[in-house]
Amino acid sequence: MSQREGSLEDPQADDSVSLLPHLEAKIRQTHSLARLLTKYAEQLLQEYVQHQGDPFGLPGFSPPRLPVAGLSAPAPGHAGLPLPERLRLDAAALAALPPLLDVVRGHQAELNPRVPRLLRRLEDAARQARALGAAVETVLAALGAAARGPWHEPSAATAAAAAAASAAGVFPAKVLGLRVCGLYSEWVSRTEGDLSQLVPEGPA
Amino acid sequence: MPAGRPGPAAQSARRPPPPLLPLLLLCVLGAPRAGSGAHTAVISPQDPTLLIGSSLQATCSVHGDPPGTTAEGLYWTLNGRRLPPELSRVLNASTLALALANLNGSRQQSGDNLVCHAHDGSILAGSCLYVGLPPEKPFNISCWSKNMKDLTCRWTPGAHGETFLHTNYSLKYKLRWYGQDNTCEEYHTVGPHSCHIPKDLALFTPYEIWVEATNRLGSARSDVLTLDILDVVTTDPPPDVHVSRVGGLEDQLSVRWVSPPALKDFLFQAKYQIRYRVEDSVDWKVVDDVSNQTSCRLAGLKPGTVYFVQVRCNPFGIYGSKKAGIWSEWSHPTAASTPRSERPGPGGGACEPRGGEPSSGPVRRELKQFLGWLKKHAYCSNLSFRLYDQWRAWMQKSHKTRNQDEGILPSGRRGAARGKGGPGGGSVCGGRKPCPAPSTSESLPWNPFLLLLIGIDLALTVCLACNVAGGRSSSGTTCPS
Repeated sequence: MSQREGSLEDPQADDSVSLLPHLEAKIRQTHSLARLLTKYAEQLLQEYVQHQGDPFGLPGFSPPRLPVAGLSAPAPGHAGLPLPERLRLDAAALAALPPLLDVVRGHQAELNPRVPRLLRRLEDAARQARALGAAVETVLAALGAAARGPWHEPSAATAAAAAAASAAGVFPAKVLGLRVCGLYSEWVSRTEGDLSQLVPEGPA
Repeated sequence: MPAGRPGPAAQSARRPPPPLLPLLLLCVLGAPRAGSGAHTAVISPQDPTLLIGSSLQATCSVHGDPPGTTAEGLYWTLNGRRLPPELSRVLNASTLALALANLNGSRQQSGDNLVCHAHDGSILAGSCLYVGLPPEKPFNISCWSKNMKDLTCRWTPGAHGETFLHTNYSLKYKLRWYGQDNTCEEYHTVGPHSCHIPKDLALFTPYEIWVEATNRLGSARSDVLTLDILDVVTTDPPPDVHVSRVGGLEDQLSVRWVSPPALKDFLFQAKYQIRYRVEDSVDWKVVDDVSNQTSCRLAGLKPGTVYFVQVRCNPFGIYGSKKAGIWSEWSHPTAASTPRSERPGPGGGACEPRGGEPSSGPVRRELKQFLGWLKKHAYCSNLSFRLYDQWRAWMQKSHKTRNQDEGILPSGRRGAARGKGGPGGGSVCGGRKPCPAPSTSESLPWNPFLLLLIGIDLALTVCLACNVAGGRSSSGTTCPS
């Protein structure tokens, strides 16, 4: 593993390895973006449940946390993985989210057409997930730890499957949207946490 | 129930339960977790649409691992609230039925959430209920064209308004005697029930316009409105409204504006209206008789007071149309203040003229009272009013500049004392009748004694006229006894 990857594995171990200034700036920038999107994702989730009606907004509401096609929640052991692997998983998840968010937006355009703010947030979330995923990929590439294989969005079939799944009924579509918004929040938060370990200490 | 064409079947299931797709064990509720022994269920009907006040019979059928799962212990919630057990009954070993009567309108437009729960509270299946009313006939359609290039229409959704269901409104239009139906595409431009047609409109030919309302329970159509674009033209508000003082006159403000530029190439006559109010008041006074002018002087205002002024425009007679246009919106409020009164307060003698000045306090006070009476009662009241104002302005200035000739206004200040634009620069608004400009020259030396003589002469003229007319002057004002 290169010296850079060695620093990525354990960035605190070797203080003598200093990242290039532009890379450092890129990492800080990406981390700030992730932190901002974490807040936006929480707001999206709150707004989403508000417009689906109870029990979606109730504290005890707990629909089955079934995995969504092409995307799963961060595994319990995610934090124990090497940092490059964690960032690759973050990037892959962020790449899988936009088409799912688009499907949810399509459903909500029919269910809640008079809530343009929710629709706009969903549209923004897809765009922001794409941007954050690309930024994480850039950081990985600059550190010599690029994602395995070409970066690409999930196939259209996956998105179509998700769309068809929600065609089973309105309630399942609402639950799907809740699940997708929840996954979006989990993954941007996870990405922010992983990037924070890369951010050099000291002022920007 | 309100009238409306019947819509889709209201109480039966809208579609059969969906087939399981290989990839969809992931999203459809009830997909079993591997090895978990979890149950699945299907609610029937799925996502029904119902009229307010109707009833619903629903079932929750459980399929589970291990087989033979019982319906015992299952329960229903509606919008998160557990339904009373007496509304449910076990149909068979795996099916729990529900009977709801006299349904209320849906709480949210995305549908009421009816959920079937296992005995431990976990969610087995869900269905969304849409309970509402068919749309009422939209009415009260009004349309206007901004500068003859477009058409914006607004309507009222129906007598009772709320349908509890998402209702789609579509504005349609067509040329009256030919052409196909067109649909407006830019909605919510001036409120929730409005639409804007930006272009491709014909003039000198009538359009038919109507609104169609549709929801899950039916549709309704408004009456047809027929109009010619030229008859509903409005403009932007007059731009560049300026309000300024009229020299030192403490009860007047001058208002000037520019005619809306967008219509300058078209033949039309513009009417204007002005409204004004005191800063801390909500009562507007409207000046109607502004006609085609672009300036106006407000009179009879309170000294030392901030006023808000607005102007609006009505283009009428466009291309020979006999109808008035539509009033524009009011311009943004423009504020200005009248000068503070510099006359001494009641009982105050602080502004008494110095010694040597002819006609000190008592004469002036009497003259002021006389002119005030003339202002109130005489036919050509503004003639004396103008003189009175000029005299007051002159007095104010003479107090400030003791070295000036008290009988003649400096030429540079003469115009300021009269106000901008001079006597012919704009009508005096505020309800006063205009009178011919005084024939006296601009350089007439004013002094109090001469003024008193003129006032006496006017009073005599009024009394003579009253005597001839039998007690009332020709203006209708009452003559003094």
